Amino acid sequence: MSASRHEGERRPDWAALLVAAFLVVVGGVMLWDSARLADLGGYSGIGPGTIPRVVGVGLLLLAVWTAFAAWRGDFPEREPQQIAPVVWIVAGLAGQMLLLHVAGFSLATAILFAFTARAFGKRNLAVNLAVGIIFAFLVWVVFSQLLMLHLPAGPLERLFFPGA
Amino acid sequence: MGSIDFLMQGLAAASDPMLLLYALIGVTLGTAVGVLPGIGPALTVALLLPVTYRLDPAGSLIMFAGIYYGGMYGGSTTSILLNTPGESASIITALEGNKMARRGRGGPALATAAIGSFVAGLIATLLLAFLAPYVVQLALKMGPRENFALMVLAFVTVSAALGDSALRGLTSLFLGLALACIGIDQLTGQARLSFGVPELLDGVEVTTLAVAMFAIGEALAIAAKGPGPADEVTAVKGSVWMSRSDWARSWKPWLRGTFLGFPIGAMPAGGAEIGTFLSYATEKKLSKHPEEFGNGAIEGVAGPEAANNASAAGTLVPLLTLGLPTSATAAIMLAGFQQFGLQPGPLLFATNPTLVWSLIASLLIANFMLLVLNLPLIGLWVKLLTVPKPWLYAGILLFATLGTIGANPSVFELGMLLAFGVIGYLMRIFGYPIAPIVVGLILGPLAEQQLRRALSISQGDPMTLLQSPIAAVMLTIAALALIVPLVLRLRGRGEVLRQMGGDED
Amino acid sequence: MKRFVLAALLASAVPAIAADYTIIAPANPGGGWDQTARTMQAVLQEEGISDSVQVQNVPGAGGTIGLSQFASQNKGNPNALIVGGYVMVGAILTNHSPVSLADVTPIARLTGEYEAIVVPAASEIETIDQLVEKLKADPGSVSWAGGSAGGTDHIGAGLIAKAAGVDPTKINYIAYSGGGEALAAILGNQVTAGISSLGEFEAQVEAGSLRLLAVSSPERIEGVDAPTLIESGLDVNLQNWRMVAAGPDLTAEQKAAVTADIETLVKSEGWQKQLADKGWTDTYLSGDAFDAQLAEDTAATEAILKDIGLVK
Repeated sequence: MSASRHEGERRPDWAALLVAAFLVVVGGVMLWDSARLADLGGYSGIGPGTIPRVVGVGLLLLAVWTAFAAWRGDFPEREPQQIAPVVWIVAGLAGQMLLLHVAGFSLATAILFAFTARAFGKRNLAVNLAVGIIFAFLVWVVFSQLLMLHLPAGPLERLFFPGA
Repeated sequence: MGSIDFLMQGLAAASDPMLLLYALIGVTLGTAVGVLPGIGPALTVALLLPVTYRLDPAGSLIMFAGIYYGGMYGGSTTSILLNTPGESASIITALEGNKMARRGRGGPALATAAIGSFVAGLIATLLLAFLAPYVVQLALKMGPRENFALMVLAFVTVSAALGDSALRGLTSLFLGLALACIGIDQLTGQARLSFGVPELLDGVEVTTLAVAMFAIGEALAIAAKGPGPADEVTAVKGSVWMSRSDWARSWKPWLRGTFLGFPIGAMPAGGAEIGTFLSYATEKKLSKHPEEFGNGAIEGVAGPEAANNASAAGTLVPLLTLGLPTSATAAIMLAGFQQFGLQPGPLLFATNPTLVWSLIASLLIANFMLLVLNLPLIGLWVKLLTVPKPWLYAGILLFATLGTIGANPSVFELGMLLAFGVIGYLMRIFGYPIAPIVVGLILGPLAEQQLRRALSISQGDPMTLLQSPIAAVMLTIAALALIVPLVLRLRGRGEVLRQMGGDED
Repeated sequence: MKRFVLAALLASAVPAIAADYTIIAPANPGGGWDQTARTMQAVLQEEGISDSVQVQNVPGAGGTIGLSQFASQNKGNPNALIVGGYVMVGAILTNHSPVSLADVTPIARLTGEYEAIVVPAASEIETIDQLVEKLKADPGSVSWAGGSAGGTDHIGAGLIAKAAGVDPTKINYIAYSGGGEALAAILGNQVTAGISSLGEFEAQVEAGSLRLLAVSSPERIEGVDAPTLIESGLDVNLQNWRMVAAGPDLTAEQKAAVTADIETLVKSEGWQKQLADKGWTDTYLSGDAFDAQLAEDTAATEAILKDIGLVK
């Protein structure tokens, strides 16, 4: 992230200009998609594409405004960010997502649990994983077996509850 | 007064110890499932309804009422303590409630939410019992154009209340409106912005966005600050209980929230969340401490929580008097009622008074049990915040994903959760407010549909919006709310407002 | 932890046993399919047809998301069922779903509801003929409130227009997300007419706040004081039915076993009582007769959706 704003004078904020570019992309996609829609406005005169078009134009205007504010350096000061913990948590969420239907709820969720704890400073992954597996399994038992929530089962769950 | 006799009979019958136990069990189960972020009252009731089948009719009715109130209330606990609203109606609660919890005032925040819910539930249930037939006649006057005007009013009050920077607030709102366009257009069945992906055809779930933006975005932002005492959360400072001034500042918002939430819940198109938006804006306007809003103002918890619960009772008005389920939760309740042989409709109060009054008695008792269960638990809940950060956030993410998985165990849904979580984190870095994006997603489709329906009925004549007195009044209020601050800003050269916008989270 | 202890105390009240059937409800909780699935769950267990039944909601896109997931995950699995219905037939067409009902094993039609056409009690329209006259004179002046676009109600309005010789693309149909909101619009006198399942309107008709003009059944319905569309000169016969299907590629024995279980369910007292409580009509149909009916409905639906302009 840009560190150029600490001297107090106002300079272009490049990261914020990226935000403006993102808004241009979203607004552009909305206009492009709404152009494809059939004009089925019927008696109201407002078809399925009308509101997306209005929102898309609004986003483009906001992009211009954002670019202007970024150029003048009007965005609030940002705190320095540590990237490693963010990567750990994102990896944990991705791991859970990909393993959920293969390994079952407890094992997949234990990954998320362990990586998140790691991101917040618990460095011993083996311990984190062990705690995560036990905790996630207890949660699985309570919510799927007692409270009838449908949670994916894997090898671990089937070991204790063969019918799951 | 036949009604009162019936009510007293119902209450007397329901005060049997066994029935009270069933009510307690129902409230406990409902709270346990409803507390999960992403699982709202509708799913809670649907999941737990089979549990009630095993009991005799009186027992199952009262347990059912308990599950309903437990599910409604459960969301506010996680909103306040962990900043992870369980459903759309408790998003506003998170705004002030979590700020309070971080300053060591989690106890009073939970207490005002619990007592506010109780007060609102009590008043609203009594209103339901005695005024339902009249309220419903008023609610039916709300057609598409009146509802559209209501949505516009909600938009204006919410964006006026939530943004410190007009640019960033509007950007957040418009991103929400853009998300709202995804999926099948309700009025024509056309797929919008779904790029051939079937999972996108139903659009973005509000709960997915809310859980991702609040819970995951927050966890990422806090992790990225690194270790250090800078943002230490104070678990408890001062009393866990509400002080005299907390009471003094809470009781009026409770009442105002109740009287805002109840009629909005009774309207066919009004969701519980709209009442919470309006209540928050009202409290901010009326408060003697407007500067505390955004930093943990107790009124901002008391009012919306009361509105939320009152509107839950409000949805029972069209349900019982017309057989009209106006929300997913109400549709499930309808299924539940039929289980007890209660056929809601215009003749219900006349043909089956005993059952109606025992239902209402059950609701009152369940409401009371909720208070009994939750007040003693507040001390325990608050202790949650003393759990060391690594375990606390690992647990928060576990429960946040558990809710999403339980509602819909799809990899795609979890992928959206992750993507929105990262966006929520980036928005926090750049100082964009989170609430408007969620508000845009909730209100966007409602406003669009109501406008198009109104214009369709008038065959394209926009003047129809002003020809209804109710709609015209609401649109005028909305216009004033938008214009007056602008005028003030221009006259005061924006100094005051700019100072107020200084410390955005 | 606290919650675990509380829940553990309840363990005796809620036994956890192996699931004999998993029923997919391809919709959110509260809708007709969800209620059908949960009613099946209750009756299958009560009647001892199955020890344990789980219901899972896979919502989305008129049931097509649940259907395609079901078809890909349950090849040859005789323990998985999915609930569906007439609306799914239309949704498969409008959403260009790659998976259709031909990709699963339809078992039986369970229940059905006929459509009813109503006007507010305060309306000057007294008969279906007067409504049709108004429609012919100026189709835009008749606003119809009903369920989602492309659903049974919308198709019904299109069929009526077509039968009356009015261009179906010209109907002023106002789609609402659920029956409840549409009913409110009709009761509030916001629209000209309403079209939805008879059950949605019945109580209001009895109370005199709605006027029932006609029903979409082939013959008059017992206890319902209204003509059919057919006898009013409009050739429309429309039923909003719900069905149950099993996974693809079942052996003949497996299909027979599932069909037998469903037949036991439908014939049970518990099921009949639930139908009576909920106001559903038993339109049970299975085997070849059901397959033929399904093919016929699919063809007719495709034709009318093209006429309305929702499918190209």
